[in-house]
Amino acid sequence: MKVIQLKVNGGVYKVDIEEDMRLLDVLRDKLRLTGTKEGCGEGECGACTVIMDGVSVNACMVMAFQAEGKEIITIEGIQRKDELHPIQRAFLEEGAVQCGFCTPGMILSAKALLDRNPSPSRKEIREGISGNLCRCTGYNQIITSVEKASQYLRREEEEK
Amino acid sequence: MKLEVVGKSVIRVDGLAKITGKAIYPQDLFMDDMVFGKTLRSKKPHAHVKIDISKAKTIPGVIKILTYKDVPNNHHGVLLKDHEVLCSKKVRAIGDPLAFVIAVTEKIAKRAIEAIEVTYEEIKGVFDPFEAMKEDAPKVHDGSNIIYHYKLRKGDVEAAFEKCHAVVEGEYKTSMVDHAFLQPEAGLAYKDGDSIVVCVATQYPHFDQLEIAEALIMPLEKIKVINTAVGGAFGGREDITMQIHLALAAMLTGKPVKTIYSREESFEAHSKRHPMTMYYKTGANSEGKLMAMKAKIIGDTGAYASWAINVLRKAGVHATGPYEIPNVKIDSYAVYTNNPFAGAMRGFGAAQVPIGHEQQMDMLAEKLAIDPITFRLINCFTVGSKTATGQVLEESIPLQNCIEAVAEAMNFSKKTEGAV
Amino acid sequence: MEIKEVFRKKNVKETLEILEHYQEQCKIIAGGTDIIIQLREGIEKSSVLVDISNIEELKVVKETEKWIEIGSGVTFTEIAREFTLHDKFSALVEAAASVGSPQIRNAATIGGNICNASPAADFIPPLLALNAVVVLERKNAIREMCLEEFIIDKEKVALKADELLTKIRFKKLQTNQGLGFSKLGFRKALAISKISTAVFLELEENNKCKGTRIATGALGRHGLRERRVEEFLQEKALDPSTVHQGGRKLQKEIEKRLYGRPSLAFKKEAVIGIFHKAVDKAFKSCKIEGGI
Repeated sequence: MKVIQLKVNGGVYKVDIEEDMRLLDVLRDKLRLTGTKEGCGEGECGACTVIMDGVSVNACMVMAFQAEGKEIITIEGIQRKDELHPIQRAFLEEGAVQCGFCTPGMILSAKALLDRNPSPSRKEIREGISGNLCRCTGYNQIITSVEKASQYLRREEEEK
Repeated sequence: MKLEVVGKSVIRVDGLAKITGKAIYPQDLFMDDMVFGKTLRSKKPHAHVKIDISKAKTIPGVIKILTYKDVPNNHHGVLLKDHEVLCSKKVRAIGDPLAFVIAVTEKIAKRAIEAIEVTYEEIKGVFDPFEAMKEDAPKVHDGSNIIYHYKLRKGDVEAAFEKCHAVVEGEYKTSMVDHAFLQPEAGLAYKDGDSIVVCVATQYPHFDQLEIAEALIMPLEKIKVINTAVGGAFGGREDITMQIHLALAAMLTGKPVKTIYSREESFEAHSKRHPMTMYYKTGANSEGKLMAMKAKIIGDTGAYASWAINVLRKAGVHATGPYEIPNVKIDSYAVYTNNPFAGAMRGFGAAQVPIGHEQQMDMLAEKLAIDPITFRLINCFTVGSKTATGQVLEESIPLQNCIEAVAEAMNFSKKTEGAV
Repeated sequence: MEIKEVFRKKNVKETLEILEHYQEQCKIIAGGTDIIIQLREGIEKSSVLVDISNIEELKVVKETEKWIEIGSGVTFTEIAREFTLHDKFSALVEAAASVGSPQIRNAATIGGNICNASPAADFIPPLLALNAVVVLERKNAIREMCLEEFIIDKEKVALKADELLTKIRFKKLQTNQGLGFSKLGFRKALAISKISTAVFLELEENNKCKGTRIATGALGRHGLRERRVEEFLQEKALDPSTVHQGGRKLQKEIEKRLYGRPSLAFKKEAVIGIFHKAVDKAFKSCKIEGGI
């Protein structure tokens, strides 16, 4: 057993971990942030995507002890108070959600992309979400949503 | 009439829960005093088995290990009751469940699985449906390996072939496909008074309820199945996987029991799309009108029937494709082998046959020197067409418009200019 | 996974002490994208893990007068970003960007790709073509080795239990030199290489090949130099017919090496196209003015 400290969605947590735990296990089993999903456990599907120190990672490919001191954002942390994040809003409006299991990871990959590149082309969006599998939608609605979200975000910037 | 939903884009009711990560799939459920279950699965495709749980049982933290002896009525299956809940004497495919360990943590359950001693006495298996159809082939279950033969007869094909201007023959094979829905199977079961509650992601909560009740020999009303959010299914959640194991575990231990399959175990546990081998013979007259078709379709259903009968029936019914043919003879078969079992998957048998009938159409068109679009337009179903099964299509058959729209979108006439 | 102890050090010195103490029991983890799978599958049996992903001194890309030096802890995202401005090295950007997915590239490191030495490792062929050198450190000692010698076999490198790969270096490209990379995977993203080829060229006047180094991935037990093909191209003018013959030579090599493998039938055909692309790109890279 070991104690690590990490920052998740703005809050600081001290967690008892076992040496062989993954970041995904800490988030789901210890912090009960079950919005982060496990689809394959080997970095293929991207359902467990979270943002760690500003970049997207698969939470199944990070050992818990490696996350000590890191800042992590999960799907539970992207809402702004009572308001949906523009990416969430776009996903809802464009019908980019079906079974929903890929959705949290997909939204976080989209966020990592838009944080870096506020006006991506459809090709760049495809690349940005290439580490996230969706078996329901065929991706088109997802790409359209990310496009729409980028417009929402740019408009917000202009209004500021 | 004013339509409020039809033709409009509506926001799905479960959308908000899903984009915020709040939607609950079975792996997201936690209960106080919850324990974990893990399935021991066969590593051999065809063998007599004996399992010894005596060592595994003594591992600290192991609560109980279920085997076939614990199952009141050890059968389930959507059409034929050919699955055992936990295998008693024989395994018929890699991945067949042998035991279900219940332990205080998942880690201990895994350790116990490794400590169970399994003795396999291998039996010759059969992995090719053609071999399996032979009389002297190893038998996967007690009776014949051929579990279904669908016959469709219309007109006189042999006489019609004689009169055809062009005839083509072909053999086509499709492969086994996994649904690979993104959420691996998981579930949680607990006792509520004298009832058992099973929370799973399923396509058939009512049928799961019946299968659990039958296996446990309990009244239907004492079994409650709660369907959580379902992370994709595509037909792959129509059969029982863990439902009965969990219900039995909750009943015998009195504790909430949870299990989560890994992606690998998910592949072993649920059905696949039927691989099919299809022989086609199709003939047309000199004007390009289809006159006769003969097809033999063999579907490998693996070790269990699941929906094989419906799937191979549908493959047979749809074998002509959307074309009017006066003389048709179709035979489709569902056959047991020791391969992973096949069942429902989007299209239910109708998705495999186009590989055959459409290639036949292209080859015939070439032989007749008619372009493939025109050839399809000559033969495709329209209002009033009669299908091979005798159904008269009375309304809404916009196939012709569809073909024409596709031809235009792909700029077909331009592309084939100068070609034969 | 039966891991008993884990360490996370902020500098190389302390990491080397841990390695010295635990020797074979200990395994280094950086991006984790290979080792976590190996732990899960029970292939990796080490009981102690030491994480180097937090060591800043391993995350440096440095340019000296003659060399480019990449710290072993540099991720593929960082490599792609670092070399984006250097057109002559667009092959490195391409190779780095072809690794896994954005999530994998954000974690996976160049050092990990080398030390895991998968037959399909994406970054080994370009480094072989650049004749890269690896820098290996242990407590109070440091040694250098040619990458080609460092890779002993499939998934096996000449790294001692108490050693850490700290840097990879290769010579900068001169005006008449260039590098090309081409990869074939089964899909666009997250594809493990089925064939990858990297070509280094040094041209003289009239496109005569003064020197070349050709390396392939996923066409043998590990990434390798294709010396027969190199010899063939040496001193020849690189016209389409020579390149084509070079492709045929490579095909012959593959036929021998992969004899009896089911994948041979398609690989021996596909390799020609992949080789052509890599040579073309290397050729274009030679023509870019100015060295780096």
